[in-house]
Amino acid sequence: MSMPRASWFLSAAALVLIGAGSLAAPASTQEGNPMSFAHTKQVLGLEGLKHNVMGTLAAENGSVIFTQGKQKVTVPAANITEVMTGKDTERTIGGTVGTLSMFAPYGGGRFLSLFRTKVDTLALTYTDSNGGTHGAIFIMTQGNALGAKKALLQQGAKTSVPPEEEADTQAKPKEKK
Amino acid sequence: MKRSAHFVGLLLGIATLVIATVSVGAGSAFAQEKAAAQPKIHASAVQVAMVQSDEIKLPIQFQLALYEYLIQEITKTGKFQHVYRDGDKDAASASDLVTLHSNVFGFKQGSEGKRQVTTVSGETQIKVHVTFTDKAGKTVLSQDTTGKVRFLGGNLRATFDYAKKVAQICVNNFS
Repeated sequence: MSMPRASWFLSAAALVLIGAGSLAAPASTQEGNPMSFAHTKQVLGLEGLKHNVMGTLAAENGSVIFTQGKQKVTVPAANITEVMTGKDTERTIGGTVGTLSMFAPYGGGRFLSLFRTKVDTLALTYTDSNGGTHGAIFIMTQGNALGAKKALLQQGAKTSVPPEEEADTQAKPKEKK
Repeated sequence: MKRSAHFVGLLLGIATLVIATVSVGAGSAFAQEKAAAQPKIHASAVQVAMVQSDEIKLPIQFQLALYEYLIQEITKTGKFQHVYRDGDKDAASASDLVTLHSNVFGFKQGSEGKRQVTTVSGETQIKVHVTFTDKAGKTVLSQDTTGKVRFLGGNLRATFDYAKKVAQICVNNFS
C-alpha cells in the first residue's frame, strides 16, 4: 500500500470512529442544564396532559416539571415515592403514519416494523394533595433514564432501588430461558 | 346436472351461514339475559387499589399503566359518583364504597415487532384476578380477566384492554 493511500484510509477510519462516538453518546440533555431532558414522551399519568405527548422533563427547585408547548405540569419531588428505569424499543416510524403503513402493498408496512429504536423508560409513582397515588410513565432517548433518575433523587424523590444497583442490573446480560 | 349440483352447494352454504348467525345471536342474547337476571350491586363510589403481582414479576410500567387505565375507564362508565385513587383520604367518608383489587397472576410480554411482522405471534397477555370488596372487606364480586394485544399497538395496550373489560364488569354488575 502506498503512503498517501494509507494516510487517506487512516483519516477516513478516524472520521467514521468520531461519527460513531457522537451517535453513541446520550444526546438529549439541554445545553446548560444537565437536569433537563428534551424529547421525552409522556406516555400516561400526568394530570391535565394527553397520553403520548412529547415534551421536556426537568428536575429543578425541588420539583419535576414536564413542559409540552405552553402546558406545564409540576410535581413536587418530595411527593414522588418511587422512580424506576427500564429499557424498551419502539417503532422508528410510529404514530398514524406507522399504523397506515400496515396497509401498504407487498408487506411494506411489515418491513418498516423491523426498524426499531432503542429507548429508555422512566416510571414514577407520586401522591397528590389528598394522598391519592398516581403513576406516570415516560419514554426517553436511550441512555438518559438513569441520569433523570439521579436528577429526581437529588431533588428529593424516593426510590426502593438505588440508581447504581439499577445500572448494574441493566448492564448484566439477560439469562437465556 | 352440474349446474344443479352447484345450486345445491350454494344453498347449503347459505343455510350454514344463517344457522351460525342465529346461534351466535341467541348466545349473546342468553348472556345478556343472564347478566340482567343477576341482581346489581349498589355502590356510589369505588376506590381503585394499586395493582399487585404477588405470584409473578410484573414490570413497573405495566403495573402503573393497569392502574391508570383502570381509573380512566371506570370514570368513563359514569357508574360511580366518585372514583378514588389508592390512598385518597376522602374515600374513607364515602358511603357505599367498594374497593377494586387487582392481582396479576399471569403475564406474557410479547413483541410489537413480531406481531406486526408475523400477525400470528408476539401476543402480549396479562391475566388478572379482580376482586371488589365492600367497606367491611367482604368480597362482593370476584372474577378473572385477561388483557391482550394481538396485532396493533404496543405492549402496554394489553393494560388498556384489561381496563376496558373491568369497566364492562362494572357496567354489568353495579347500579
